[in-house]
Amino acid sequence: MLIQLEGVTKIYEVGTEKVNALGGVSLSIEKNEYIAIMGPSGSGKSTLMNVIGCLDTPTSGSYCLKGQEVGDLDDDELAEIRSAEIGFVFQTFNLLPRMTAFQNVELPLIYSKAHRRTRAERVWSVMDAVGLRDRAKHRPNELSGGQRQRVAIARALINAPSIILADEPTGNLDSGTGEEIMQVFEGLHKAGNTIILVTHEEYIAEHANRIIRLHDGLIASDERSAGASSPTRPVGSTERA
Amino acid sequence: MELRETFLSALRTLGSHKMRSALTMLGIIIGAGSLVAVMSLIAGLNQSVTAQFQSVGTDIISVSHFPWVQMGDSDEYRNRKRITIHDSDAIASLPSIGLVAPNIHTRRGISYGGESMRRVRVSGTTPEYETIDNYSVESGRFITQFDVERRRQVVVIGSDVSEKLFGFRDPLGKNMQIGGKGFVVIGILDEKGDIFGDSLDEHVIVPFTTFRKAFGSRRSVVVDCQPAAGVPMARAIDDIRALMRIRRQVPRDKPDDFAINTQEDLTASYKQLTGVLYFAMTGIVALALLVGGIGVMNVMLVSVAERTREIGVRKAIGARRRDVTSQFLIESVILTALGGALGIGGGAGLALLVRVATPLPAATTPGAVALAVAFSLITGIVFGVYPAIRAGRLNPIQALSYE
Repeated sequence: MLIQLEGVTKIYEVGTEKVNALGGVSLSIEKNEYIAIMGPSGSGKSTLMNVIGCLDTPTSGSYCLKGQEVGDLDDDELAEIRSAEIGFVFQTFNLLPRMTAFQNVELPLIYSKAHRRTRAERVWSVMDAVGLRDRAKHRPNELSGGQRQRVAIARALINAPSIILADEPTGNLDSGTGEEIMQVFEGLHKAGNTIILVTHEEYIAEHANRIIRLHDGLIASDERSAGASSPTRPVGSTERA
Repeated sequence: MELRETFLSALRTLGSHKMRSALTMLGIIIGAGSLVAVMSLIAGLNQSVTAQFQSVGTDIISVSHFPWVQMGDSDEYRNRKRITIHDSDAIASLPSIGLVAPNIHTRRGISYGGESMRRVRVSGTTPEYETIDNYSVESGRFITQFDVERRRQVVVIGSDVSEKLFGFRDPLGKNMQIGGKGFVVIGILDEKGDIFGDSLDEHVIVPFTTFRKAFGSRRSVVVDCQPAAGVPMARAIDDIRALMRIRRQVPRDKPDDFAINTQEDLTASYKQLTGVLYFAMTGIVALALLVGGIGVMNVMLVSVAERTREIGVRKAIGARRRDVTSQFLIESVILTALGGALGIGGGAGLALLVRVATPLPAATTPGAVALAVAFSLITGIVFGVYPAIRAGRLNPIQALSYE
């Protein structure tokens, strides 16, 4: 079992008011699952993603990642788990504008204290995986949206994380480019990665082979679709062998 | 995060805000620059003053009515008993004392031919004065014992006197007027330079006895002497003090009513003066660096706010608090270190300019540079720490959703 959530709640205090963002979520995720988390805004999907991504800890309940209880870790311990186990892909890419694509991808390796000599090798291998070797020296503002998201994916992959967490990864892309990015995820899934996708688009969610729907901080449904596990069209050049 | 990476990333950030970085550095540049410049000037001043003090003679003990450096009530000095030639003889008989030269001074007009000079320092003394007070004769000879015994109307003249009164003529053997009395020039002194802007070369020296006869014998005598060979300064001074207190009947509980001057005293009071200068300068520099530091803090806080999202991203991909904190701290330290380096360069350049363009041998010492470096780095750390800690403590979720 990769991820095990048991009765996870998250209560935010906004002024004097308490907001129940998660009302007791129990969930388990196996290695190499491809999951979409769906729900209207305010349903708690962002909070759930933050908890799974170790950006936040539950108010109550238990979250075990690879058998380790995350709930009682401090800031720096959470940072180390994020560094080793989680790869984030954001809707707005969140690349650092002053760095080249190569440097952006390399950054998590620097935080995980990878040796300088092995870093370049690993950066090149993930850049190849997303098909951007020839764009390595470009800065984000010299890249297209799709290319930026590929750089972000490469950055998420660089530490070989247990989970890739993608929050609306196609939200800022046109549908054609969005589809290309989904192909990249498809390829990553086939290569053995665990992917959790947060989206409110049905057609994006359909790429996953398990869809979890949230409503008012609770799981409304949790369905597996056998059909989605095999891609409907050939994977592009971005696929890893 | 490796230091090298943090460093490179900090340079990149500062480089992308060149104008802002430069303006922020200005305060530090001015602070470090003025520190180095002023310290270099003081070092130069020290060097030239030390050279001037050397001209007085390093092992001279000068017993006199007035201290060289006067403090407090000058009436008290004026009412003191004179020091006499008998005091000088008594000092000369001390076993711890070597050479002794009693000397007396006045200012008189002097002239030769059509040329004249006003208020020139006239000294009456004995042959030992040449050695004790570090005079050397350029041509002719100094006063001899014979001149003193015979009260001869002879004079040894300073180089400025030679130049102004005689011009290109050879003064030796010429008859000149000092205070309306005729003297034959027997020697010309080597140039001695200035002390605190006062020329030591506008000076004429006559035999002690001749002086008393020509200009009066009631003046208080100054007794210049040296310790005997192998006797430490301090012991010679103690012996003189004990002797003089007995001779002048100073009660046990009263301070000396005479002064024992040494070059060391002069140096000490000079150091006191420069000490005040250093103190004032430290205040100014501290103020400049405080202002600079506040500028640094302000810019770093702006930078943290501007880059909130970046901080969120860095944290999401694995940066710990200290990674973020050290990144911002290093940025502020680079900012002040760079400002410090530029300031040091500017200050040293200014000192070099002074050295080349003026007689003051301004010199930038390694100590001044080290101090400026230390001040700059400390400013960077002190004023960078708060913004850096704030950056490190940012909540990644809030930071990521920051617009």
